[in-house]
Amino acid sequence: MTTIERRLVLATALGLPLALPFRQAAAAIDAARASSFIQGTGNELVGAINSSAPVARRRESVAGILRRAVDIEGVGRFILGRFWRTATPAEQQEYTKLFEETLIHNLASRFGEYQGVKFTLGRSQANTEEDVMVSTSVERPNTAAFTLDWRVAEVGGGPRIIDMIAEGTSLRLTQRSEYASVIQRNGGQVSALLAAMRQQITQMRANER
Amino acid sequence: MPIRPNRMLLALGLLTLVALGGCATRPPADDPEAIADFRQTNDPVEPLNRTMYSVHQGIDEYVLRPVAVGYREVVPRPVRMGVRNFLGNLRTPVILANDMLQGEPRRAGDTAGRFLINSTLGLGGIFDVARDHFNVPGHTEDYGQTFAVWGIGEGPYLFLPIIGPSNARDLVGFGVGLVADPFFWFGQGAVVQALDYTRVGATAVDTREGLIETLDDVQRTSLDPYATLRSGYRQNRAAQIENRLDPRAGQAGVGTGFGTGAGGAAPR
Repeated sequence: MTTIERRLVLATALGLPLALPFRQAAAAIDAARASSFIQGTGNELVGAINSSAPVARRRESVAGILRRAVDIEGVGRFILGRFWRTATPAEQQEYTKLFEETLIHNLASRFGEYQGVKFTLGRSQANTEEDVMVSTSVERPNTAAFTLDWRVAEVGGGPRIIDMIAEGTSLRLTQRSEYASVIQRNGGQVSALLAAMRQQITQMRANER
Repeated sequence: MPIRPNRMLLALGLLTLVALGGCATRPPADDPEAIADFRQTNDPVEPLNRTMYSVHQGIDEYVLRPVAVGYREVVPRPVRMGVRNFLGNLRTPVILANDMLQGEPRRAGDTAGRFLINSTLGLGGIFDVARDHFNVPGHTEDYGQTFAVWGIGEGPYLFLPIIGPSNARDLVGFGVGLVADPFFWFGQGAVVQALDYTRVGATAVDTREGLIETLDDVQRTSLDPYATLRSGYRQNRAAQIENRLDPRAGQAGVGTGFGTGAGGAAPR
C-alpha cells in the first residue's frame, strides 16, 4: 500500500465521522477494504512502536493511532451491554470518557512493549453481514509468533476496529464479562463501575510517573 | 503407586467441596436479561469459586509466580525450551488418543509422526525436530475437548487452587487424562514415583512461566480478575475445541486450568 493510499484511508477514517456526526447502523463492509485498513493501521502502529522516540512519546503516538482506528464509543457501549440502558445520561457520558481513557491506556501500554514487532497480514473473511475478521500474524524478537485477529466494521462511513481476538479470546467479550461482574456484585449499580474505573485511572496515572 | 489414588482422592474431595459449597444467588424471575446473563456466566458456585480463587492467588503470589520468575531468570532459554519440548512430547500419547477419539485422522497422523520423530531425532523429545525441520507443529487435545466434541456440555464453572479455571467436564477430562496417560502406569517403585512428581512439578513451573505476562496483564488491567479469567478460559477452550487456535502460540497444555495450549511455543 502506498503512502498516499494510506493517507486516503486515514483521511476517510478521520474525516467522515466528523461529517456525519449522527451514528448510523453499521453498514456492510467489504473484506478487501477492511484488510487494507488493517494493513494501513498496522503499519502505522509498527512504525510508532519501533520508532526511536522516548517511551512516553511512543505511547502517545500509539494512542493517537488507536483513537482514530478504533470505534471506541461503539465498543464501549457493547461492553456495558444491558447496563447502558439502566445508566443515567450523565453516567453514560462519564462511562464513555472513562472507557476511552482505560482502553487506550491499556492497549497503548501493551503495544508499547512490542519493541521490534513485525506483522504480516493473513486472510480476511466476512464474519457477519456487518463485519469482517482480518487475521494478522505478530512477530516479536525472542517470542513465538501469534495470531491477532481484528474485527472491522463500517462505522459512520469509515472502517473501524470493533474487536481484537488473541488466543480465541475476544477483548470486548472478556471486558463485557468483567464490567458486568463489577456491576452485579455492587447491586446492579453502574455508579460502582464508574467509581472502580476512576480509581483504576488514578492508579494508572500514578504508575506512569 | 500411591501417587495415583492420592490424586483421585484429591479430585473427588474437590468435587465434594463444590457440591457442598455455597451457591450464587439467582437473579429475580422478572428480570429476563439478568437471568440470561446468569445462565451464560454458568457459575452457580461462584462464592465458593471466589474463595478458591483467593486461596490460589495467595499460593500464586508467594510460591508459583516467584518460582516461575526465578526459573526464567536462572535457567537459560534453550534449556527451558528443551524442558517444554520434553514435557510436550510426554503428552503426545494422550493427544494422539484424543485425536483418534475425535475422529481426526490427519491430526492423529501429525501427532503420531511428531512423537516418532521427536522421540528419536529429537533425542527423547528435547528438540522439536518435527516442528522446526518438518514443519509439523504440535497441537493440543485432551479428554475435556473430546467430551465437548461428543456433545457433552461444560457443566458448572469451577476454579481450583493451583490448577486454575476449569469446569465439571474439563475437570473430569483432566482426571481421565491422568489415569489414561501410559507414562503414569509405566513401572513402579521409588524412582518412578520420583520421576512422576518431577514431571508434575516441572509441568507446573513450565506452565506458569509461560503465563507470566498474560496473568500479570490480567492482574494489572482488570477490575475483576476472577471474572476476566472465567470469560477468558471459556473463550479459549471454545477455540481449542473447534481447533481454531494457532499452534505456534500455544502454552504448555495440560487439559484444564491455566495450561491448556499446545506446548509448542518458545519460552522467552
